Amino acid sequence: MIGYVLRRILQLLPVLLLASIGIWAMLYAVPGGPVGMILGENATPEQIAATRAELGLDRPVVVQYLDWLGSVFRGDLGLSIHSREPVLDLIMHRLPATLQLAFVATIVAILLGVPVAIISAMRPGSWLDRVLSGWSALALGVPTFWLGILLILLFAVYLHLLPSASVYAPLWSDPVTALKSLILPALTLGVYVSGVLARFLRASLVSEMNADYVRTARSKGLPERQIMRAHIIRNAMLPFITIVGLQMAAFIGGAVVTEAVFTYPGLGRLLIQAINTRDYPLIQGCIVVILVIYVLINLTVDVIYAYVDPRIEYR
Amino acid sequence: MNSLRFMLRTIRGLMARPGPALSLLYLTVVVLAAALAEVLPIDPFSQDFVMMLEGPSAAHWFGADELGRDILARVIYGARTSLVTAAGAVAIAGAIGIPMGLVAGFFGGWRDAVLMRIVDVMMALPAILFAMALIAVFGRSQGAALLAVGLTGVPGFARIVRAQVLTLRRRDFVVAVEAFGGTSGYNMFRTILPNSWSQILVQVVVLSSVAILLEAALAFLGVGVPPPTPSWGEMLRTGKSYLYEAPYYAVLPGIALTLTILSFDTIGRGLARILENPRDVAAAGGPT
Repeated sequence: MIGYVLRRILQLLPVLLLASIGIWAMLYAVPGGPVGMILGENATPEQIAATRAELGLDRPVVVQYLDWLGSVFRGDLGLSIHSREPVLDLIMHRLPATLQLAFVATIVAILLGVPVAIISAMRPGSWLDRVLSGWSALALGVPTFWLGILLILLFAVYLHLLPSASVYAPLWSDPVTALKSLILPALTLGVYVSGVLARFLRASLVSEMNADYVRTARSKGLPERQIMRAHIIRNAMLPFITIVGLQMAAFIGGAVVTEAVFTYPGLGRLLIQAINTRDYPLIQGCIVVILVIYVLINLTVDVIYAYVDPRIEYR
Repeated sequence: MNSLRFMLRTIRGLMARPGPALSLLYLTVVVLAAALAEVLPIDPFSQDFVMMLEGPSAAHWFGADELGRDILARVIYGARTSLVTAAGAVAIAGAIGIPMGLVAGFFGGWRDAVLMRIVDVMMALPAILFAMALIAVFGRSQGAALLAVGLTGVPGFARIVRAQVLTLRRRDFVVAVEAFGGTSGYNMFRTILPNSWSQILVQVVVLSSVAILLEAALAFLGVGVPPPTPSWGEMLRTGKSYLYEAPYYAVLPGIALTLTILSFDTIGRGLARILENPRDVAAAGGPT
């Protein structure tokens, strides 16, 4: 098992290497480069030369890149241009809020998506199946930010039940405030993800339902519910888990947008602020952290997959 | 004439089902309105201060925004921004992604490995973050938004074309061209590519829906096409600040946006069904 995980990490290495070069090169692609970014447009040649030496820009490019990569591995993402605070501290301050949103949204998505998939797969082609499939198409097609606005209109503006702007409170220390703030964002993000889950789990279930072992189970007189629970769902989980892993990128992207709708103080909002203030070290830091999260999720999916399916050999 | 007949048959196949038919109808209206915006008696920039944030009325069917500008006019001009960005983005994605897929699939080996790793990297970041990173580098402009959305579409084209090339590569008609001394370039662009158009067409339609969503999302986040150019995402962004005073402001542009995205998506899936199973078209009453 450990060997299998290590092998997957090795396979990811070239991608991570290229991605890290891309993120590092961002600074150099900015008009004016890193020096112009710090000094602004009206710098004297002497100032520019001094800053170049200070930043180590007079060294070979490869050395500069390896130096940057080394500090990233040590957890040193540099200082924010705007607040002069370490980028990693700023990110770690916001990360719990985003993880909490993602966690609750995932629960919402599973609660909404999995029953929809199972009910519509029970009778493929029936009117119920069509209605539910239409619903998942809607969940996928309605832009997250517009759905968020509609939910704010309904629950905050008209019904006065929930706040229109969310604050972050840890679920374990202040569950009431946390849940009040999280319901609408988690619903917004969760509905989208539930559409993904419903569509792919249904497809996976329907294709399993025609398998030989299902016919065998039926012919020996097992009740339909038990066939679904003990046979079909178990086997349909495999392709489904892969798809869910692939869709995690959309999930993270959706979280960024959702945070913007509800002015929720997470990583996504930090990134948007960083872009608006042209705080490049902070932009790089956010992207590095998001990339790491994405890779970790994919590794977890791989491990779950190997765990669920004993047929996979950990070669 | 063959391609014209193919097109007519495909459209007829789409019209045979209510979902794709309604989508096609809606998109036709949107495209016409966007194309003829100058001819219509509307102005997206003129300000009517008396009507600021007023609801729908005879003078302003969709109401007026915070500067007293006509929201319907801005929705129609916003359609132009969306459609132009989508068209441009799809063109960029195709111009880069299709040759990438052709080369990777046709030659295999190290070219395939290198090109597909690049595709993997582009897919390692969520599309919207990839686009935001690019805009952070280029600065905020219409061109940057277009390029950013376009580049996020490259992996889709590259992978679909590559897969198509791999299934066609060993087919007799491709090997025959090779045997007669046809160059690799001729084989890729004149033999394989023409046999891949239906898959590419589906991808074009699906990507249009994604591109419109992405453009709107970027504008909503405040990093897309800069104001005062009307854009649906930007309208939703501003409208969100006036939910109490003018709720329709954030609702109406959202309806236009959502219907456009759903329409492209519905047509894309309808096309995939028709092109995978041409008999569907015949069964729908089209000429065979």
